[in-house]
Amino acid sequence: MLSRVANNLYWMGRYIERAEHFARYSKEIYFSSLDAPIMETYDRKFVLESMLYMTGIFDMDAENEKDVLFKIGLDTENPNSIISILNVARENARGARNAISTDLWEAINKYYHLVNNYSVETYISTGFYDLTQIILEQTSIVQGKISGTLLHDEEWAIILVGMHIERVIQVIKIINSKLHDIYKIELAGHPVTDMSFEWTTMLRCTESFDMNRKFYRSIPNREQVLEFIMLNPQCPRSIAHSVNGIQKYLLKLNSDDSIDARSITFKIGKLCAQYKYLTFEEYKDDIYGLLNSTQDLVMEISSELEKKYLSF
Amino acid sequence: MKNHTNGILDSYTLGNTHYDEVYTGSKQPRNHYTSMVERFNQLSLKDFERINNEVKTAFLNQGITFAVYAEDKKPDERIFPFDLFPRIIPNEEWIHLENGVIQRNRAINLFLHDIYHQKKILKDKVVPADLIFSSKNYLKEMVDFTPEAGIYTHISGTDLIKHTNGQYYILEDNLRCPSGVSYVLSNRVALKKSLFDLFDKLKTKAIYHYPEHLLEMLKSVKPKNVDNPTIVVVTPGMYNSAYFEHSFLAQKMGVQLVEGRDLFVEKDFVYMKTIYGPIKVDVIYRRVDDEFIDPLCFRKDSMLGVAGLMNAYRAGNVTLANAPGTGVADDKAVYHYVPDIIKYYLNETPILNNVETFHCEKESEGKYVLDNIDKLVVKPVDESGGYGITIGNRLTKAEIEEVKVRIKSNPRKYIAQPIMSLSVHATFIEESKEFEPRHIDLRTFCLMGKDSEYVLKGGLTRVALKKGNLIVNSSQGGGSKDTWVLD
Repeated sequence: MLSRVANNLYWMGRYIERAEHFARYSKEIYFSSLDAPIMETYDRKFVLESMLYMTGIFDMDAENEKDVLFKIGLDTENPNSIISILNVARENARGARNAISTDLWEAINKYYHLVNNYSVETYISTGFYDLTQIILEQTSIVQGKISGTLLHDEEWAIILVGMHIERVIQVIKIINSKLHDIYKIELAGHPVTDMSFEWTTMLRCTESFDMNRKFYRSIPNREQVLEFIMLNPQCPRSIAHSVNGIQKYLLKLNSDDSIDARSITFKIGKLCAQYKYLTFEEYKDDIYGLLNSTQDLVMEISSELEKKYLSF
Repeated sequence: MKNHTNGILDSYTLGNTHYDEVYTGSKQPRNHYTSMVERFNQLSLKDFERINNEVKTAFLNQGITFAVYAEDKKPDERIFPFDLFPRIIPNEEWIHLENGVIQRNRAINLFLHDIYHQKKILKDKVVPADLIFSSKNYLKEMVDFTPEAGIYTHISGTDLIKHTNGQYYILEDNLRCPSGVSYVLSNRVALKKSLFDLFDKLKTKAIYHYPEHLLEMLKSVKPKNVDNPTIVVVTPGMYNSAYFEHSFLAQKMGVQLVEGRDLFVEKDFVYMKTIYGPIKVDVIYRRVDDEFIDPLCFRKDSMLGVAGLMNAYRAGNVTLANAPGTGVADDKAVYHYVPDIIKYYLNETPILNNVETFHCEKESEGKYVLDNIDKLVVKPVDESGGYGITIGNRLTKAEIEEVKVRIKSNPRKYIAQPIMSLSVHATFIEESKEFEPRHIDLRTFCLMGKDSEYVLKGGLTRVALKKGNLIVNSSQGGGSKDTWVLD
């Protein structure tokens, strides 16, 4: 595999994953807030600020709802909008066109045209749910084509490394963003018992609500939610599952399970081990510390991966 | 015809002064078109438009598009217009074309070898030496070098038209990087999906195996001492208008698509940069023009090429398809001599007609051209894509004077031909929602490898969508049709 093509595939995976998280987070936060039980969460400005925070937009006041929706979704001038991210994903796929299957290319290209042809007017008036739903469904189709129409070789592995790295980063951002919201609500003096709604939203934002229900069979609370989406390797959206994914697919690229502490495989192996044997009790007082150190390490792995395999 | 159906072809008006491919002068479908016309007439306009739109969406989703760049705007992504009504070529007509195309390219290949070695044809004054040595496409780097198996034009695209007299004429040879074959294959797939029952009525020859032939041909010209060659397609990159085709062919052949920056040369061997280190490359199907392939030899500012590639090539360590320097033979001024070239090397009568051509640099012919610009098509000898062409009867007096000035300033650069009447074919026009006659041509694709010659059955029928327009190039508003050679 050409290094340039590997680079295209890696970023294609990352951007496809990123667009999906932005769409899901925005959708869940927005729609759950419409009949939220707590005043703060019900407040438009509060919700829009949370969406802007998650999608990395820091230079905008959350005053006008339509402006915010446009900026996050279909603003091609904003490099962090869903449409811009998707367009870069598609350009990366195009650059690696002959490395991927026709099925996968057409799925990505169709996804691109669906979003690019979506009317802005419809989107900001009545189409917000529809468009985010299209994005989630098209992402599933693309993921299906990745798993079902590509030879499971290095090219396939590099896409999945990209997706899992991005997933760790986005899940950490979602947890941070929701913890930030919850902190603001707690500051306003609401009792902890009112918080199940917020924890439910956090689960929905990571697509883990049903799984969590099935696993614990109880109303979501802080410990169960954070334990589940951080440590549970059976939950495909959890950090533990995603770091395992990075390790699994990296080993496809580099089967040398090195004991050199500077190697990528060593670093990711150590991170997987940390998550495997960690209990909530051990880090419950320093959630942000764990999230930050995990994010730093994953970023480090990503840049070393780029240096080692993707530069040309 | 009008009395028995409201068929969508009923309102078709014959193009009276041109050869109509579908109908005779009394508006009877020609024999080989009868069942096709019947089938189209069974479709309602509504159904036809629905199918037409579905096909357009399918092309868009497949990415069979080219980008039109405008300042300050997102590039506009357009599909290459595809007309659903196929062009049909009877088998005996095709055999004649195929033989003619092979004959022509065989002779051109011998000609290229000669002008880069002994130059016998020039010494015998069959082709003027000045014409060859003054061409910017004659590369001194190719002198005395013989490419693997003696093949220069591995892939050539010969353009043909049918004149009012029903005869085919060669319009031009494309011996550098002819494009369009991906559209041929995509058009067929699109037509099969949308109007599948057409294929019950008539049996067309298959074309899907072109990439297999291409791959076999490329393998056949591998450097000596290589058993299992690594083959790549080199593209200028994804912003090139033919990028779809480059990726399409690489993918269908199962070989790597690379850009110049993915390759490097060390000790006269070419390598590509992969995640596990360099891998040697043996055969390069390059879709980058000569002047850009090696900044050490040709254009210094080229970002698309590979430094040292020509040295590796001359050392026999890598095959380039097509060979550099073939452009000297598809120069429009050399075109005139191709019938002589065929006679000289093959001792055969040319199977296909050439269009009469006047050289502006020859005094007598140049004078005729300057006196008759209104009756002639004037073409620059070394441009492609339909650029720089003027058609005499469309010019104003002032424009004629401009053309004269241009010719006088550089007569070597221009040739002129009588205005040929390209045949017309029923084509659906979206604005009028009717089938109307539109001019068409045919680009054939010929592969030459070690001991093998192959012509894709049919080729790309290009159609000038603008009413009365004779220029069929996609960059100038042309579309295309599926082309059937009857079995």
